[in-house]
Amino acid sequence: MPEHSPEPIPSADAAAIPVSAEGRDGYQVRLDIFEGPLDLLLFLIRKKKIDIHDIPIAAITRDYLDYLGRKDEINLDREAEFLFIAALLIYIKSQMLLPRETDLAEQDDPRQVLVNRLLEYQKIKAACSILREKEEDQILQWKRTFLPPLPGESELDFTEVSLFDLAESFFLMMKRRAAEDTRIIKGRDVSYEEKLKELLGLLRDGQVLDFLAYFATQESLEEALVSFFCLLELVKSRQAVAVQDELFQTIRVWLRKDARRAGHHE
Amino acid sequence: MSSDLKGIIEALVFISQEPLTIDRIKTVLEGAPGDEVQAAVDELLQDYASSGRGIQVVRAGGGYLLSTRPDHDRWVRRLLQIERKNRLTSASLETLSAIAYHQPVTQAEVSAIRGVDSTYTLKTLLEKKLIKIVGRKKAPGNPLVYRTSERFLQYFGLNSLDELPSEEEIGKILQEEKSS
Repeated sequence: MPEHSPEPIPSADAAAIPVSAEGRDGYQVRLDIFEGPLDLLLFLIRKKKIDIHDIPIAAITRDYLDYLGRKDEINLDREAEFLFIAALLIYIKSQMLLPRETDLAEQDDPRQVLVNRLLEYQKIKAACSILREKEEDQILQWKRTFLPPLPGESELDFTEVSLFDLAESFFLMMKRRAAEDTRIIKGRDVSYEEKLKELLGLLRDGQVLDFLAYFATQESLEEALVSFFCLLELVKSRQAVAVQDELFQTIRVWLRKDARRAGHHE
Repeated sequence: MSSDLKGIIEALVFISQEPLTIDRIKTVLEGAPGDEVQAAVDELLQDYASSGRGIQVVRAGGGYLLSTRPDHDRWVRRLLQIERKNRLTSASLETLSAIAYHQPVTQAEVSAIRGVDSTYTLKTLLEKKLIKIVGRKKAPGNPLVYRTSERFLQYFGLNSLDELPSEEEIGKILQEEKSS
């Protein structure tokens, strides 16, 4: 049973706006049924059969604030969003009250920003109802989802690894290397620029690099370190994508399409 | 091979979990002429449509996949012991819709369109793989940029973003809402 609270008695100003039959019956609308402030605003506009392009700001603000006052619990995050739009409404009203020397051109209407947002939001909402129908259709058709996905379909459906994942794998690789009983006799200076060039060369033409294997080919710890820094740099500058299917597995690296096209930029 | 082209394609669609694209089929079949492949696929679709089977070949997400017929939903659910399949929450749906029409978008842009902070919803959608991160915007703070994924298309039975509800369809809905 919905609790009834009568509609507020319309003031002289609000009385100019026709109250829909729904409205006169009076029913409690809880704030949490609205997706957000724009949803509430659209509801009020529709309820009063107001033309969205010519919103009586004072009246709609009053209604809006009235709904805010009916909430029975306080959720600060949500509250802030609703209050933001309330502040916007009041700001628009104040703009409209300011005396002006010339008549307002259409696009100078202070309400325009709000109207545009409402129109866009309204469109999104309408699309939602169509998508919801499609969802209902699709949900009845069961597909097989328990097999592993096909490999190599598209690069963007992979979860890209974060720099932290990369670092973790790096330490793992370091450990593996440390476990190998190798002795390095000759030292060689490895320059970052050269290594980067080498890496880019390997990655050109859409090549996919197995980083663990690449790492294993590095002669010295220093060289390995530098190559890892290069990889980090490439990922950071968004030239390369690094993908790891599972933790502790190898990292596959390839150049992003736009980086491939643009070539190597310094 | 061409005599059994239809059968081969059926096998491929059967084993594929993601929508199997014509291109993918062609790659697998190595050099089978494109029109023959398409013809075989069409024939396969017809076979399934006309033979009163419990499964069907559907076109979604830009490819082909097998699914059960809608009429058999309750039996499938009984087998799997699923009371009711979860729908997207209205917040999720609204966020998806905003992303679909405005992509590529950042979290801040989505939140502005909805008038509601969408950080959490974006996270859920990412987990469901209905959206994906495609990069960062060259703007203060380098915010992440989102797009809808292939799975999004498949989820709603769309083949491409062109099949999203059109201006006319949306206009019709708005008209209905106005008059109701």
